[in-house]
Amino acid sequence: MHIEIDEISKQFGATAALHPVSLAIPSGALVALLGPSGSGKTTLLRILGGLEYPTSGRVLFDGQDATGLTVQQRRAGFVFQSYALFRHMTVFDNIAYGLNARPRATRPQKAEIARRVTKLLDLIQLPDIGARYPSQLSGGQRQRVALARALAIEPRMLLLDEPFGALDAKVRKELRQGLRDIHDTTGLTTVFVTHDQDEAMELADLVVVMSMGKIEQIGKPQDIRARPATPFVRDFISA
Amino acid sequence: MSDATFRPATEETPLARRILIGLAATGLAILVLAPLVAVFVEALRVGIGAALESLTHKDAWAAIKLTLTIAAISVPLNAIFGVAAAWFITKFDFRGKAFLITLIDLPFSVSPVVAGLCIVLTFGANSAIGAWLVGNGYPIVFAMPGIILATMFVTFPFVARELIPVMIEQGRAEEEAALTLGAGGWRVFWTVTLPNIRWALLYGVLLCNARAMGEFGAVAVVSGKIRGETATIPTTIEMLYQEYLSVAAFTLAAVLALLALVTLVLKTLLELRHADQLAATHRH
Amino acid sequence: MRPMLNRSPMPGLGLSMGITLTMLSLVVLIPIGALLLKGANYGLAGIWETVNRERVWSALFLSFRLSLIAALFNLVFGVLLAWVLVRYRFPGRRLLDAAVDLPFALPTAVAGISLTALYAPNGAFGALAAEIGWKIAYTQWGILIALIFVGLPFVARTVQPVIEEIEREVEEASATLGATRLHTIRHVILPMLLPAALTGFALALARAVGEYGSVIFIAGNIPLVTEIAPLLIIIQLEEFDYDSAAAIGIAMLLISFAMLLVINLIQVWSRRRIGHV
Repeated sequence: MHIEIDEISKQFGATAALHPVSLAIPSGALVALLGPSGSGKTTLLRILGGLEYPTSGRVLFDGQDATGLTVQQRRAGFVFQSYALFRHMTVFDNIAYGLNARPRATRPQKAEIARRVTKLLDLIQLPDIGARYPSQLSGGQRQRVALARALAIEPRMLLLDEPFGALDAKVRKELRQGLRDIHDTTGLTTVFVTHDQDEAMELADLVVVMSMGKIEQIGKPQDIRARPATPFVRDFISA
Repeated sequence: MSDATFRPATEETPLARRILIGLAATGLAILVLAPLVAVFVEALRVGIGAALESLTHKDAWAAIKLTLTIAAISVPLNAIFGVAAAWFITKFDFRGKAFLITLIDLPFSVSPVVAGLCIVLTFGANSAIGAWLVGNGYPIVFAMPGIILATMFVTFPFVARELIPVMIEQGRAEEEAALTLGAGGWRVFWTVTLPNIRWALLYGVLLCNARAMGEFGAVAVVSGKIRGETATIPTTIEMLYQEYLSVAAFTLAAVLALLALVTLVLKTLLELRHADQLAATHRH
Repeated sequence: MRPMLNRSPMPGLGLSMGITLTMLSLVVLIPIGALLLKGANYGLAGIWETVNRERVWSALFLSFRLSLIAALFNLVFGVLLAWVLVRYRFPGRRLLDAAVDLPFALPTAVAGISLTALYAPNGAFGALAAEIGWKIAYTQWGILIALIFVGLPFVARTVQPVIEEIEREVEEASATLGATRLHTIRHVILPMLLPAALTGFALALARAVGEYGSVIFIAGNIPLVTEIAPLLIIIQLEEFDYDSAAAIGIAMLLISFAMLLVINLIQVWSRRRIGHV
């Protein structure tokens, strides 16, 4: 799905989290929103997911105005920094949650739900953990379950907030490849937020560097490396 | 879409909120605030003069003095117990700690009447210990010591329960540091531990005191309710009420209700000002 | 097996252990032991004989049944209170929050006479009820109201900290997965509150079963109808029938112990399932 961000701004009280920013994300791209904390990258991601509403501006999905859609209507697969797994539910029930939450008319049969969950567990290469609770999983496993849960609703796009932030260095490397693979298999337009420039450069097709609520530069990783557009970008990627 | 019309995904509709707040406020007003107000309304039914006069009656006065005496003895004893138990439980590692905590909490799940019954059976004239004590001129039941024991029983866990989680959270590092600097045991306690737990201690003592002055069931069983001698404020309230001396009963009740209000105000102040030094459950 | 006591450089072991164990024994353990000993003397059969009298049985049953209803009411109302107090900001919130503690702070005898004054046929609420022919004070309704009063804070106070700890992200995750707010509350929030709510429920129940002071004034104390178990103990004591008093006391103690066990099991179960209490 093609996403267009048109002059989006966001005020929290007197402070501006986003000055009007515009950005076009081509269908099927894997995009990194890169910047230090307070740069507005997470706010932008949450606006895409419908968790915040912009103060002004529009969001377009495939050319249609989606600004007024509620979070439920957006069907954005969202992976939270803390994963936000439901800890009183098994992994299976976590992944099945979105399907079970549908109104009766569109809810799949029990067997169909089970089939889809099993398929997703295979996709994240953890076929045997369906009966476990989140507290019994490692950090890396939790992240993958959160991803599977987001994919279960057949999302129109995948949004990830610091998906590797809570993991140690070794697991992080493995899961980067995992996310790349899942993106390539599903072909979903994917946007992730990170403060780690290596991660952004290695994983993304397109990197959006942000600072203080503004977009500093948009480009392919190698272009940003070769030709930083502003002093901020130069400092940030050489850090 | 503007901010004003946007409702975050984690909030209920304004209508649902209003209904829930309304239910909570109405429920509390009927169930809790109305009885409080009723105490003062009934006490002042024939004017403040009559109310004050009923307080000067010698039985009422004796009850007030007795209740203050009981609290003045049992609350400090329980505070000492609470500090000692919290120290023992949080500064040392031993087997059976969880069981010990359960035993300390036990009085909270025992009916006050059963507590009183236990004390009567242990120290009453029918028991071996009781008979011996009475024989030597130290009656416990139907006398002050029994009331103190009953009061201590029902308020037993208050201080320990408040201190234990706080002291667990604070750990032992500061005490260990003081020890390495050459401080002795008491010095460590007075200069390091006590300053760290003083608000939690005060909090526990406050609740303990409120309950001690208001205890009725356990005291009713052990005191014998001898007017002017072993009748505390709550038992005197009962006697006055049953004699249809409504104003006198409600005036004494109002005294206790005021105490409860003062306790609540102090408790709320402690929670606001010193939340960081209280047990985690009070932080909101 | 780990040693009974690990060596520690901390001072005050003897003193703190001495005070703790001595006072615990003197004030709590020996008296409870005396009651249990009395029970052991005439055995389960003897206790059963006392309990099995119609008047005792109906008092125990009444105490337990009304306590259960009161605790169920408080379970629902307590969760509602906790939610409103933690999540919403409105004028008077602090006052309501403090009011929740009032049943803990107000002595039971005071609550007892004041509830009676309110709900008696000539009282403010009692008169209203009387107009539709509903008698509250001196009936089981009155006992129920008193038991609701004393148990009111338990569920609210155990659930409040749990609501504070719920991460917003969990609720947001539910919404991004397409769940309506009602679905989120039913399938995500309430299950998370369940262990704490059940603990509070059991505490409220235990408190209500043993409650005396706030009940006896409003109850009317008619044998077989509105006579609660704790009152029956006092009546037996006043008749110097210590054996019967002890038997009823033991029955009540066993109910309390069972309740404590249930609370502990809830906590073990919830810790195993979701990794915290």
